[in-house]
Amino acid sequence: MLISLSEKQIGTLLPAFLHIDKQLNISAMGPGISRHLPHVRIGMPCDEAFRIVNFDTAQFFHDGHDVQPVSLIARNNAVVLNGAAIFHEAGCLLAVRFAVSEEMFADSTMDLRDFGHADPVILSTMLIVLQRAMLEESQATAIELAHERQRSTDLLERTSRVAGYMAHDFNNLLSIIRLNIDRLSRQFGKDEKIGKLAKIIQEMASRGSDITQSLMTLSLQRTDTRQPLSVDEVIHNNIGILDSVVGPNITLKLDLDAKDRTCVVSYTDLLNALINLLINARQAMPQGGHIELSSSVGAGLIKSKGYADADPDMADQGPYISIRIADTGIGMSEALLARAFEPQFSSKPNGTGLGLGSVRNFAVEMGGDVWLESVEGAGTTAYLNLPIAGQMSGADIGIADKSASDIVGKKKILLVEDEPYALEALVEMLEAEGYAVTPCVSGDQALIALEHDSYDVLLTDVVMPGQNGTEIARHACTVRPSIQVILMSGYVPDSALLQPGWLFLHKPMDSAQLLQLISA
Amino acid sequence: MYGMIHRAMRQMVHEELGEDAWFALEQKLDIGPTELLTGMVYDDALTLQIVAEAAARLNLSVEQCLVAFGQYWIRFAGQGSLSSIMKFTGQDLASFIANLDRLHLAVGAAMPGAQLPSFAALENEPGHLVVEYRSDRVGMEPFVMGLLQGLMDRFQTRGDIKVVRRGEKSIIFDIRYQDIG
Repeated sequence: MLISLSEKQIGTLLPAFLHIDKQLNISAMGPGISRHLPHVRIGMPCDEAFRIVNFDTAQFFHDGHDVQPVSLIARNNAVVLNGAAIFHEAGCLLAVRFAVSEEMFADSTMDLRDFGHADPVILSTMLIVLQRAMLEESQATAIELAHERQRSTDLLERTSRVAGYMAHDFNNLLSIIRLNIDRLSRQFGKDEKIGKLAKIIQEMASRGSDITQSLMTLSLQRTDTRQPLSVDEVIHNNIGILDSVVGPNITLKLDLDAKDRTCVVSYTDLLNALINLLINARQAMPQGGHIELSSSVGAGLIKSKGYADADPDMADQGPYISIRIADTGIGMSEALLARAFEPQFSSKPNGTGLGLGSVRNFAVEMGGDVWLESVEGAGTTAYLNLPIAGQMSGADIGIADKSASDIVGKKKILLVEDEPYALEALVEMLEAEGYAVTPCVSGDQALIALEHDSYDVLLTDVVMPGQNGTEIARHACTVRPSIQVILMSGYVPDSALLQPGWLFLHKPMDSAQLLQLISA
Repeated sequence: MYGMIHRAMRQMVHEELGEDAWFALEQKLDIGPTELLTGMVYDDALTLQIVAEAAARLNLSVEQCLVAFGQYWIRFAGQGSLSSIMKFTGQDLASFIANLDRLHLAVGAAMPGAQLPSFAALENEPGHLVVEYRSDRVGMEPFVMGLLQGLMDRFQTRGDIKVVRRGEKSIIFDIRYQDIG
């Protein structure tokens, strides 16, 4: 097949083509050559305008035949042309085009006119440049999406914080209402009409309290209290849940022997810790088995031996409740045991590594410890030790059933509350119960009072201008280590700010619960 | 249309009315950054909704807004990440229009699914071009008019653009221009 093309047609297909005659003079050239190499003229020796890289110019027609690759470099500006030399009777068609680079797109020296319509190299280079541009745009979009997400998170956090503040303030108001209604009932409750009205207000305050609880839950704030609890009672009252946690293939056996003792803990946190330890035990027994959950009272070193060896100063001594969860599972190797409580570490394929870590956090915050002992193939035993409530003031304190009347009248209470109506109501209630109460409307007043007298109980609000409740409590414990600390607030302070053994009551408070705590 | 068009529209609204106006538009249409993904091809209905909302805020008719946006698109593409490929496509009005299909060939390869138009210079004389626009889309005449106006601005020319014929899927534009640069 022989195709005859005009110079213009060849120029459209190959804008940078050259034709040289047998004397090696340029006899034709494409429009691209004219545009970018204006010094190149028809009739000019090719060798004068270009260096032919892969041919000896003198032997050009001698060495060349048919179609061979060729590369030219313009002598005055280093423009590179690549392509094929097509030899024929009258000379040679240099079917070349400008070498393509990404830089060429940026420096605007050439444009699409300089390349043939069917040039696949230019199309693919354009594709690369376009994809690079799209990557840049995608990067910008990714940053925008990240900012958008951050904005949403910030908005949620702000809303949550505002909800938290509102709940806190509303709880304070509800607390004042509740305390004063109790006051009213005590003084005039025998009058049937007043008693009925007081009951209505009390009920409404309770409903208001439910709303603030929901608000706090929505704002991801904790709503639990920290009070002396009987571990045995918590286990007994939740046996249904604990049974379902271990599942039908595992027998859960209880052996509880700490019923007269209490630990100062959050109910929810204690239950979560038990559930986490039971889940761990269950997962060690995929084929079923037995778990023994026992409690006992111990004395001496609360922390594990390893902990005591590592930090003897921190190894607390004292009476404690020991919770023991023993399984008959696969056990753990020494290496696994050493890492079991590491946050985010898990030996299970779908484990989060959060369960045991959270149990350890809970135990340490409560002044106790948790550890595991294991024999490979025989099972693992978890020990959770928690100090008995009031251990600082002696082994007897912490007995759950101790009668309040035994000590009423002997206790001196330092009461700190910046809300005057709440303060007034609390003073009246506590004095009516026979306690000696020193009221303070600020943290500063409380610190002065602590310097001049000693107290059995510190009952303090947490959020106050100036010295806050936890600061006062820390100072009070330094001055008098045996002081019983009861914090009260509309929100739950960061557990890191609370020392083990401190009690915490969530506002709006129940008067009876408060009296029970003080008398415990 | 593809997301880069939406991004350009956002930029135009930002420049003309400020960020809050665009934010209000996003809220009205219930869209966000996920409707601005460069390489994503979106339903034309969404693009037209955005144009209509922008038009209302810019106090323009939809047609006027499409002309303004076509003009703006050329400026936007010439300044952003596409600037080098825009330069490469052509350095004067006639060659740019003549090479537009080649540019679109590469764009089509980079963004599969994009429905790209075709431009052909039927006549090309100094100061005079007859351009045929072909597309499966309808109602894009004002946008194309804006694009051609934008190209005249880009290459520092001034002149008139007239529609000389409208077919089912094509429009023929007559462009008379002179250099002012």
